[in-house]
Amino acid sequence: MREITLSRAVNEAIAEEMRRDPRVFLMGEDVAEAGTPFKVLSGLVEEFGPERVIDTPISEPGFVGLAVGAAMTGARPVVDLMFGDFLYLVMDQLCNQAAKQHYMSGGKLTVPMVLRTNLGATRRSAAQHSQSLQALVAHIPGLKVAMPSSAYEAKGLMKTAIRDENPVVIFEDKLMYQDKAPVPEEEYLIPFGQAKVTRPGRDITLIATSSMVQVAEAAAERLSGEGIQAEVIDPRTLVPLDEATLLESVKRTSRAIVIDEGHQSYGVTAEIASRLTEKAFYHLDAPVVRMGAMDVPVPFSPALEDLTVPAPEGVVEIARRLCAGELVHGA
Amino acid sequence: MTDARTNSAEYLRMYRQMVRIRTFEDNANQLYLSAKMPGLTHMYSGEEAVAVGLCEALTDDDRITSTHRGHGHCVAKGAEFREMFCELLGKAEGYCRGKGGSMHIADQSHGNLGANAIVGGSMGIATGSALRAKLMGSDDVTVCFFGDGATAQGLWYEVMNMAALWRLPVIYACENNGYSEYTKTEEIAAGSITARAEAFGIEAHRVDGQDVLAVNALARDLVARARRGEGPFFVELETYRYHGHHVGDINREYYRSKEEERDWKENRDPILRFRGWLVSEGIATEDEIEAMGAEIAEDAAAAVAYAEAAAYPPAHEVDMHVFAD
Amino acid sequence: MAHDVTMPQLGMAQDAGKIVSWLKAPGDAVAAGEALFEVETDKAVMEVEAPAAGYLSAVAFGDGAEVPVGAVIARIVATAEEVEAAAPAPEAQGAPAPEAHGKSAPEAQGEPAPEAPGAGAAGGAAALPDGHPVTMPQLGMAQDAGVLVSWLKAPGDRVAAEDVLFEVETDKSTMEVEAGRAGWLAATLARAGEEVPVGEAVAILSEAEPAVPVARSVRDGAAPTAAATTKAPAAEATAKAPATAHSPQTAQPAPATESAAPVAPHARGGRILASPKARRLAAEEGLDLARLAEAGHPQPYHVADLAVLRAMPTAPAAAGAPALPPRRLTASVATDGLAAFAAWAAAAEGLSSDAVLAGLVGASLGADDAVTVAVARMGAARGFTVPPGRALSAVAAADSDAPPALVVRDLRGTPLVAVAMGAEPAPVLTIMEAGMGAGAGGGLSITLECGAEALDADAAIGLLAAVAGRLDDPLRHLL
Repeated sequence: MREITLSRAVNEAIAEEMRRDPRVFLMGEDVAEAGTPFKVLSGLVEEFGPERVIDTPISEPGFVGLAVGAAMTGARPVVDLMFGDFLYLVMDQLCNQAAKQHYMSGGKLTVPMVLRTNLGATRRSAAQHSQSLQALVAHIPGLKVAMPSSAYEAKGLMKTAIRDENPVVIFEDKLMYQDKAPVPEEEYLIPFGQAKVTRPGRDITLIATSSMVQVAEAAAERLSGEGIQAEVIDPRTLVPLDEATLLESVKRTSRAIVIDEGHQSYGVTAEIASRLTEKAFYHLDAPVVRMGAMDVPVPFSPALEDLTVPAPEGVVEIARRLCAGELVHGA
Repeated sequence: MTDARTNSAEYLRMYRQMVRIRTFEDNANQLYLSAKMPGLTHMYSGEEAVAVGLCEALTDDDRITSTHRGHGHCVAKGAEFREMFCELLGKAEGYCRGKGGSMHIADQSHGNLGANAIVGGSMGIATGSALRAKLMGSDDVTVCFFGDGATAQGLWYEVMNMAALWRLPVIYACENNGYSEYTKTEEIAAGSITARAEAFGIEAHRVDGQDVLAVNALARDLVARARRGEGPFFVELETYRYHGHHVGDINREYYRSKEEERDWKENRDPILRFRGWLVSEGIATEDEIEAMGAEIAEDAAAAVAYAEAAAYPPAHEVDMHVFAD
Repeated sequence: MAHDVTMPQLGMAQDAGKIVSWLKAPGDAVAAGEALFEVETDKAVMEVEAPAAGYLSAVAFGDGAEVPVGAVIARIVATAEEVEAAAPAPEAQGAPAPEAHGKSAPEAQGEPAPEAPGAGAAGGAAALPDGHPVTMPQLGMAQDAGVLVSWLKAPGDRVAAEDVLFEVETDKSTMEVEAGRAGWLAATLARAGEEVPVGEAVAILSEAEPAVPVARSVRDGAAPTAAATTKAPAAEATAKAPATAHSPQTAQPAPATESAAPVAPHARGGRILASPKARRLAAEEGLDLARLAEAGHPQPYHVADLAVLRAMPTAPAAAGAPALPPRRLTASVATDGLAAFAAWAAAAEGLSSDAVLAGLVGASLGADDAVTVAVARMGAARGFTVPPGRALSAVAAADSDAPPALVVRDLRGTPLVAVAMGAEPAPVLTIMEAGMGAGAGGGLSITLECGAEALDADAAIGLLAAVAGRLDDPLRHLL
């Protein structure tokens, strides 16, 4: 199978959907000729014209608000939010407006829009261009949240998001845009709410999102050298969450580490860990451990920044101790 | 008035809609004061000519976005009393199945994209609706209602900029009732409000919001031009709210005198003014107008009684409509 | 058509309003919108207008009445003839309306003022009697408080130094605390079940009979109450202990008697740490994780530890902690110095050989106080009181049946060469002749047997070594 970059996969997904459905259009800062700073959308304006690939002013609340209104009245906008950190700017439009319209109207209005943005530290971009804010939006009822972990997932999830009748936020890891993965030529969709077991195992379950799947895979590889067979699961969407697959795995392995690049406190890891504890308690042979980003603003200095995100060594160490029956965080 | 507009049926319809709004609000006020209505509500009484003058220039395909003071827009855009009162009382037959209430009432069937409890919160939605119309080649127009208080929201300037850049068919209708919640607007708004729209190259108008004919004439012109791609437009409508910011805002003399209120009610009431004109022009007799008022009052009483007796939504609906299928 | 006038809802969280004053009287003609009365809410005073034109009728609440939101206050009727002679609320103007009573009555009327703490009863007992404090002893290494299980003496009782005043429970055990001096129990400063910090006074002993004995709680330090005139017998106090235990820091109910003190089932005295899955599987298989704990298997337990549990032999049916095996130690002495020494002592000082034996052995205990040592020989036993010091002449026959601290079983002159009798209530030293022939001067064999709890290993070894040394060369005892 051919291998393409995650960036190319996103581009293909949007192009295919724009060809399929004339209601789909793209808007955001520098999405047209510039193709975004990450060049993810390059070439789209040439094919679809500036009417459907719209460069906006630097007005995040404004253009997200426009997307909400366009979606409520029959269009299917894909909005590009250049950095995930800018989510804070659009909170009212996303959380008070987009997320609630369907419910507040008793099911009469729908907001089929996609907000694609990014996450991920270690790009030396410091505290306002490095955040992973998926927990913030996953907390809001009415928003769906997808987190592709490879080019394959990025394409399939984007196409599904564009066809969804609800507001969907997709977080791409900005360090993965050039990562290649096998992506079929033929069309495919990845349904929301279906986790993927990327590596089977029997001793411990590593649940990881986005680029943390790579961290979990690397850890699992090392653990296998020590005789510990780790299972790696990528939930792929946080909302809806494929709880059944996670629970089935954890009930089988009796141990779990949840890894996500958002801040650890009150985060994605906390939510998943608590669901596992609530629903698989009597199958757990060790505490479920969260591994998120440190609870600090992302520092600039590489010497500091690299300390803030989960790395394979840390996962290996915790997994080893959990499997040995050692106390990880006290008894 | 042009010859084409000398249509007494249209005038009577406008009058009827204004009285319907006033009657709806009087009943809503009573429901609230008698503790039969949950939550809180913001009365539109006094501003009827604004909603009716604008909405009578629109079709059901045209969209509006409304505000927390939104009952008038909803009635003017064609909503029914029964579904509205049911919504106000949180009943299953309400426009939003009881999930929206007074501040989120929406009526998709008549193009009302909904009231919004965030001041200025619908400016993006209205502009986005206009963007959609342009992208999809539709000639519908969107009217964005908001109050003078919302002109302090930054979102408006972001979306006006885009609307002007892309010549979107949206009309920003600022209902300037002189008060931003509990504060005189002159205390919170610097400079000129129309000048703000003009700064983006948007054609701006100022009109007497208590004169339904003047509002309607301007609206018809602007709507027609917006359909031809000449938008966006801005209209500042000078009007007055008879009640406080919300129903419980009773002792308000610290920001607004009773004399001022009495003056607007006695001398500038949009319904009384239009009624006098209808009679003097021979379009309707006093008896006919009285009969119309009685009929509307009866309709409203029946709708209130129906809503009071109507069923609440069943418990299983609580987690319905979080996501669309 | 008549219109109800109701108490309006004016605030978001308002459930009643107060009628400040009526501006119209019953029967008055009113116009729609005309002010009828003024209402005060938590936020504001406002005028309530007539909902319709007509005549004010059926005024149900007067000035000052607090009326729930939505309640009908009056009616507006169409004609003067319809005016009802009112159905006013029963109370006069200015009195609160009946609806108001529901919420305001308890506050308005107030509850009977609670009696001042200790009023009357405390009276002249504000000051504590003079005397010597008895404090909460420190009994463990990491202990900072003890729970007073029960009083064995009552305030006003006369006590001797060795009388047990109260029982104390620590994390390890329950023990009795003696008065330590003679006198009167003038005050008890804690009640059964209360926890008292180590070093804090628990009682006051006075040298003279107290005029007003005091009994009070740790918690009511400022208001001591006079002791009950009828002194509660100690037994009753003990029985009440569990019921009156109310210290929130009391970890467990105080045991009623010392013998009933629970034996901690697990090495660490608390709950067993185990994973949820290990617990579930253990429960499904009928395995008892406590057995792992008793065997000293390190916690927390995971599923893997269940394999160890499954491999363990089935436990005896009896509950409780398995006793550690009794201690048995044997020393041998090359020469029997005892016989010659005893003969000399009998001749020179007139001491009996048993008293000498008791004195030598008792001194080996190194106690600070007198100890009782029993000397047993072929079924007959005699008790001796051995005072501190080395004076064998001070060893006297014990005058009570007090249980001995140590038993010396003298088996010299018998054919027995070894014993393994198991632990008895007190440690037993068995002295036998070593070698083949009796009286051959071949030395002695001394065996110490005791329960593991009676003496720890070091103490047992030390005792036996000291006894062996003294029997080898009794003169060393005197030097």
